[in-house]
Amino acid sequence: MLKYLFKRLALTIPTFVALMFVTFVAIRLVPGDPVEVRVGEHGISPERLAYFRHELGLDQPVWKQFLDYAWKILHGDFGTSLRTSQKVLTEFFTLFPATIELSLCAMLLAIALGIPAGVTAAVKRGSWYDQILMSTSVVGYSMPIFWWGLLLQMLFAEGWHLTPTSGRIDPINYYFEPVTGFMTIDALLSDQPGAFLDALRHLILPAVVLGTFPLAVIARMTRSSMLEVLSEDYVRTARAKGLSPLRVVGLHALRNALIPVVTVIGLSVGSLLAGAVLTETIFSWPGVGHWLIESISQRDYPALQGGVMIVSTFVILVNFGVDLLYGVINPRIAHGR
Amino acid sequence: MQSRLRVGFARAIVPALAAAAFCLGSTALSAKTLVYCSEGSPESFSPAINTTGTSFDAARPVYDQLTEFKRGTTEVGPGLAESWDVSDGGKTITFHLRKGVKFHSTKDFKPTRDFNADDVLFSFNRQWKSDHPYFKVSGGKYDYFNDMDMPTLLDSIEKKDDYTVVMKLKEANVTILANLAMDFATIQSAEYADFLLKKGTPEQFDQVPVGTGPFSFVAYQKDAVIRYKANKDYWGDKALVDDLVFAITPDPSARYSKVKTGECHFMIAPRPADLPEMQKDPALKVINQPGLNIAYLAFNVKKPPFDKKEVRQALSMAIDKAAIIKGVYLGSGQAAKNFIPPTMWSYNDKVQDYPYDPDKAKAMLKAAGVATPLDIDLWYMPVQRPYNPNAKRIAEMMQADLAKVGVNAKLVTYEWGEYRKRMQNGEHITGQLGWTGDNGDPDNFFFLDGCTAARPGGQNISKWCDKEFDDRLNKAKTLADQNERAKLYEEMQVIEHDAAPNFLIAHSIVYETMRKEVVGFKQSPLGKHEFQGVDLK
Repeated sequence: MLKYLFKRLALTIPTFVALMFVTFVAIRLVPGDPVEVRVGEHGISPERLAYFRHELGLDQPVWKQFLDYAWKILHGDFGTSLRTSQKVLTEFFTLFPATIELSLCAMLLAIALGIPAGVTAAVKRGSWYDQILMSTSVVGYSMPIFWWGLLLQMLFAEGWHLTPTSGRIDPINYYFEPVTGFMTIDALLSDQPGAFLDALRHLILPAVVLGTFPLAVIARMTRSSMLEVLSEDYVRTARAKGLSPLRVVGLHALRNALIPVVTVIGLSVGSLLAGAVLTETIFSWPGVGHWLIESISQRDYPALQGGVMIVSTFVILVNFGVDLLYGVINPRIAHGR
Repeated sequence: MQSRLRVGFARAIVPALAAAAFCLGSTALSAKTLVYCSEGSPESFSPAINTTGTSFDAARPVYDQLTEFKRGTTEVGPGLAESWDVSDGGKTITFHLRKGVKFHSTKDFKPTRDFNADDVLFSFNRQWKSDHPYFKVSGGKYDYFNDMDMPTLLDSIEKKDDYTVVMKLKEANVTILANLAMDFATIQSAEYADFLLKKGTPEQFDQVPVGTGPFSFVAYQKDAVIRYKANKDYWGDKALVDDLVFAITPDPSARYSKVKTGECHFMIAPRPADLPEMQKDPALKVINQPGLNIAYLAFNVKKPPFDKKEVRQALSMAIDKAAIIKGVYLGSGQAAKNFIPPTMWSYNDKVQDYPYDPDKAKAMLKAAGVATPLDIDLWYMPVQRPYNPNAKRIAEMMQADLAKVGVNAKLVTYEWGEYRKRMQNGEHITGQLGWTGDNGDPDNFFFLDGCTAARPGGQNISKWCDKEFDDRLNKAKTLADQNERAKLYEEMQVIEHDAAPNFLIAHSIVYETMRKEVVGFKQSPLGKHEFQGVDLK
């Protein structure tokens, strides 16, 4: 197991370097200079342009800029944002909890609804429930996030006033300093009556919108995986032994059917973070998505490079964790055995 | 057992539901809070290092300047300087500073003295002197200080006593008083700067603002919210609300939703497509005025046949301006006939715009000896600008119009920085650009058509240089009397109209949307969002 762990960790190092290189080169291939992009119709004198390019090291050959950057990364220095003059790490970790909170809630929602729905559809294969679930999941799978978000916003917030339209908490009634960056937790810690519920109300719509796609994927994957497992000999044996249907499905079948589902959940983390970019925009959710988009449009090289690398590392680590989970779910395929 | 369970459940759930109902239905706190849906996070809270209107809006509640624009106008009046004397033929300005003005406090910093001349010197020297301890803090880019030519204009700034500052200029230039009312010329606390320097955290100076303005800064959560509270010690008219909140909402549809549901009282930049619905909503009010900007198509007078004014006039009549306003600006634009917008003093309303008359244009081209078909290039910006929502679409419409008079326009564009540079070098034949005013002074627009800016690399992209125009431009800068200046600017608009170095497209119309309960907001021609004097009824 330990050997496997080290091997997997060692494999992440070249992935990390490749990521660093690709991000570094890609942003430089986009036309536009980080100094000139902030200049409006006034323009900038060649002297001032040269001065700032020198200050930012942009007058160096690209390979040297890359080596300097890699050296700094090795020392934990992700640089300073060109837009705000703030440390990239500080900015990122101010915003990341919001993205994590949203993604986590969306994923929990998707798992909590997707797995039971998939299991039920498999057990009741061919029934009207199965038909409805499968066609609904196709809709959920193919629905554009932007359209879905705006639709829910118009119905639930503007039309029926059941939820707030956007943001993380009502700024008029509640104010407290962030402690963890997770609004729901900070609201609980604040001891302000109603703050936690208000934070939850703000979370509902974005979490539903972001969770719709993984929910559909998980439900479909659980169904197909369960169908496969339910036709296995050991399930028939369990039934023949007279075990209750709940025990057969819940204990014997589901556990084995979960392996591909867990894989899909792990892979969904990447798409979830990509979807968070749009969801954050629709619901004015102050996460890293909007920040990364602004970094691209402003050619904020350090912020973009740093942000992409940390998010990608996060996705790599989640998938690494998923790999380890296989062994927990099914000890027969525990790594290193 | 079952009944005990039921009772226990009821005991637990009823208070929980009651608490939930109370919380969900909680009403606003007793303090009067104005929520403004802004469009983004500020770059920092020091206007000296900022470049965007969003950032200036965020710092504005906290700060004052020596001179200030009167609310809702471009008129310059007293600010932290109660009065000033102009002497030495306009080359020396002596500012008499306001006494008893308090700086705000923060958790760590409590000011020990009132605002004085040291703060003025600090605020300008930080941007001017490269050996100043704060010069390089937060990147050291003082774009506006440089854009407004302050290093060229200023000779010295000296403290005569605690409440008198003497500013000497290298040449007489009355427009500096308007420059000093701009955000970059904000006065910050020298004492606070020293305090942070000693503490070893000078960069905090630009993140936690300490000013003298009508609101003091409370907290900022990036991309989420900025909070201010009314400054009870403010020297001027005190704020009418207790708290001011900037709810950062980048998406215009989300801003609109929030205003509709009452989560925000005021929103910036509504989408033109939403305006008809907004105007019908009885809970909202929508106000508008032409922005302090101009979009234009410059004819490069250095390149034949555009060296002939008749050709330029002909092309001015060949393009259907009304169709552009309708098709591209979607009602958010006003056809331009002068280089300055109508909200600016000295606007000459007597000037008659060129009519759309393709037949006359064709005849004029023929009379000017231009053989058709004439091949030209027509450059368009690759980016959206406040004065031009879609330069490519405008270029396509112009191309179609020009084809009707025998002019084949090839559309050209480059990356924004490259585009600007090449145009300033005069590489184009015709090209679109525009301008957004900085300080509300007509000189800040007309210099773009002056001879100094017509040099290669200069901002006059038509490269037109007219002595009659330029003499008036230079003279107006030295006159203290606004009426005399206005007369010269009015004459310049006539000269410019006749020479037609640019086809003037439009001034974009700026809309502001707010809830009906918001009263006292005055729309600024400079595009500022100021909440002093704004109340909730």
